[in-house]
Amino acid sequence: MTASNRTLLSWMVREEWRLHSELFGGRRFAGFPLAIGALTALGTALLAATGTRPAAVLAGLHALVALFGLQVGTIGLVGRDALRDVLGDVTLLLFSARTLPLSTKRLLGLFLVKEVLYYSGLFVTPVLAGFGVVAVGRGMAPAAVALAWLTVTLAFALGATASLALAALAARNALAVGVALAAGVVAVVATGTDPVALTPYGLFTHPSVAALVAAVLPPVALGGLGIALFEPTEDDGTDGRHRRLDRLLVAVAPDGLTRRPLLAVARSAGSVWKVLFSMGVLFGVTALVLRQVTAATGIEPGVGIAFGTLLGLGGFTTYSWVTQFGDPREYLRYPVSYDAVFRGALRAYLLLSVGASLPYLAVALLWYPLAEIALGAVIQPLVALYVFGVTAAVTGLSPNELLFDTPRFALFGAALAALATPLVVAALAVRVDPLLVRVVAVAIALVGAVAGLVLTRRAGPRWTSVFRE
Amino acid sequence: MPAIETTGLTKEYGDLDALSGLSLTVGEGELFALLGPNGSGKTTTIEILTGQRTPTSGTATVLGHDPVAEPMAVRRAIGTLPEREDPPSFLTPREFLEFVCEVRALSDPEDHIERWAERLSFVETLDTLSTNLSEGQRQRVMLAAAFVHEPDLVFIDEPLVNLDPIMQEQVKRHLADYCAAGNTIFLSTHFVEVAQELCTSVGIVSDGRLVATCDPREFDDGELLDVFVAEVDAEREAVVG
Repeated sequence: MTASNRTLLSWMVREEWRLHSELFGGRRFAGFPLAIGALTALGTALLAATGTRPAAVLAGLHALVALFGLQVGTIGLVGRDALRDVLGDVTLLLFSARTLPLSTKRLLGLFLVKEVLYYSGLFVTPVLAGFGVVAVGRGMAPAAVALAWLTVTLAFALGATASLALAALAARNALAVGVALAAGVVAVVATGTDPVALTPYGLFTHPSVAALVAAVLPPVALGGLGIALFEPTEDDGTDGRHRRLDRLLVAVAPDGLTRRPLLAVARSAGSVWKVLFSMGVLFGVTALVLRQVTAATGIEPGVGIAFGTLLGLGGFTTYSWVTQFGDPREYLRYPVSYDAVFRGALRAYLLLSVGASLPYLAVALLWYPLAEIALGAVIQPLVALYVFGVTAAVTGLSPNELLFDTPRFALFGAALAALATPLVVAALAVRVDPLLVRVVAVAIALVGAVAGLVLTRRAGPRWTSVFRE
Repeated sequence: MPAIETTGLTKEYGDLDALSGLSLTVGEGELFALLGPNGSGKTTTIEILTGQRTPTSGTATVLGHDPVAEPMAVRRAIGTLPEREDPPSFLTPREFLEFVCEVRALSDPEDHIERWAERLSFVETLDTLSTNLSEGQRQRVMLAAAFVHEPDLVFIDEPLVNLDPIMQEQVKRHLADYCAAGNTIFLSTHFVEVAQELCTSVGIVSDGRLVATCDPREFDDGELLDVFVAEVDAEREAVVG
């Protein structure tokens, strides 16, 4: 008889706390929930000032937290070498199956439970506290905020388990992911099911025992499926699929500083498909939020501005992927400037984030007019350039430090909000003067892109001096 | 019954054949070294025998268990120290060894921990976070984790890497004493002098095949190196030819 699951879980929680507090210092980390709560309260108040009701904000919060869960869920799949690149020379209990009589699948299952417990406490709780302060003041019942805490936590769990299940499936058969997603869409359309009713947000809007089951069952089933399908050691990256993809990437990125991050993303678990997948989720969530905003407020938001802005902001995930493979200080050993390193990373980032957005914008043409989608296709790369510049300036080549370092997180959040808030307001106010608001939105995005390029240019010299100190 | 027996083990990584029909037997109480150049299949062999990786074909038995069908039974019965393995960064050696003792259901964990910390000279760093330890200090903690339940068989990939000369001598003595008590140790190394000085039996592996076995005690200083180079060269010529 070996250690119980509860014991293993307690060791993992202890390790997680130690990791965060040791890496970034107790105070910088302890301030993280406070910063999250303050940012959420500020965002909710700003949106309320535009006439957006708390219920609509809550729909968006469900979507954003589910997206965050998607990002967290990939951690078990990036593998220990990539984790080492992200966090430095680090080993976690998650990887102790190599030397101890513990199965990787069991450790991964406990890791998922730990992540949900951990982030529900240190992320979802402050988000809902910040939201609740404003929403209760505007008439929302405290009991509704308490229910939202549960449903947002479930949304996080849904995101984390969905990415684990889909990436584990993709590692076995990439085609199967497409088939599974297509089958899901066909089933929803054919049966006329409201997809929102199958998410934790459905439990918030229409609480019932059936909705509770519909909210709890998918994360449990997807988590079980992901763990069952997960194969930790056998993918060696040498099969034909990788070689064909390599040739394609070499063709589009002939210089080494662009090719290296592209190849690193392509050869990691989930390959470049994880970029396409994360953009797809963002696209789906944006479409749902647009629908909910219309249903809740009667406002018809500007679709092009909304898609362009949110898909552009989604570039942060792509930034993490193109920069997480390798020690940032490594380039000090080569006759290459960090200015050139950031330019290479920017080219790889744009190829992936813009390339992964375009198919979804094309799909959107089925429902929305060409002019709207064209506007989205213009705004998306401009916002993506801004996201790159801000992330490069604030985090250098270690974007995951945002998850632990409160001052940097607050600065990053404020910088993104500086561009995102006027664009979201423009999307909501587009009917006031459609042409003028759209021109202003493009102008705002353009200013953001220029700022992003300036920040990217400054990132090279700045981080050179930081690394050499 | 031998402690380890393999027959015709193969392992393919895409186009690369890491193992090409490896067959070997290691008897109980032996201090066996799998000696081979870089990329000859040593680490893959250990990963298969410890249930971390499945072979493409062939069979293996470890202490009477099949590592493919019963990986947990194998891992419960053995100790393992892979190459490039560190204790969890944000636990102290004491906490990590407490964890290992819990997983292995050992009673009196503090007793075990103190004994192994004294034996491998890391008592003074027992309560230091592992991330703040040197490579050699981490290696000692991992050695303790592999031996703490005193298993009948221990696999060690490159046992002396990162250890200072004094610690190397201590570890060599410990390995010899451990086998003298009737236990089996399976080492993987590309350092011929380690195999010659420590082991009771050596298998020379090249290009994923066992090309020779011998008792290193029968050779004078340096002779095993000559045998090793000759066997590896002959195998490579045969493969190229």
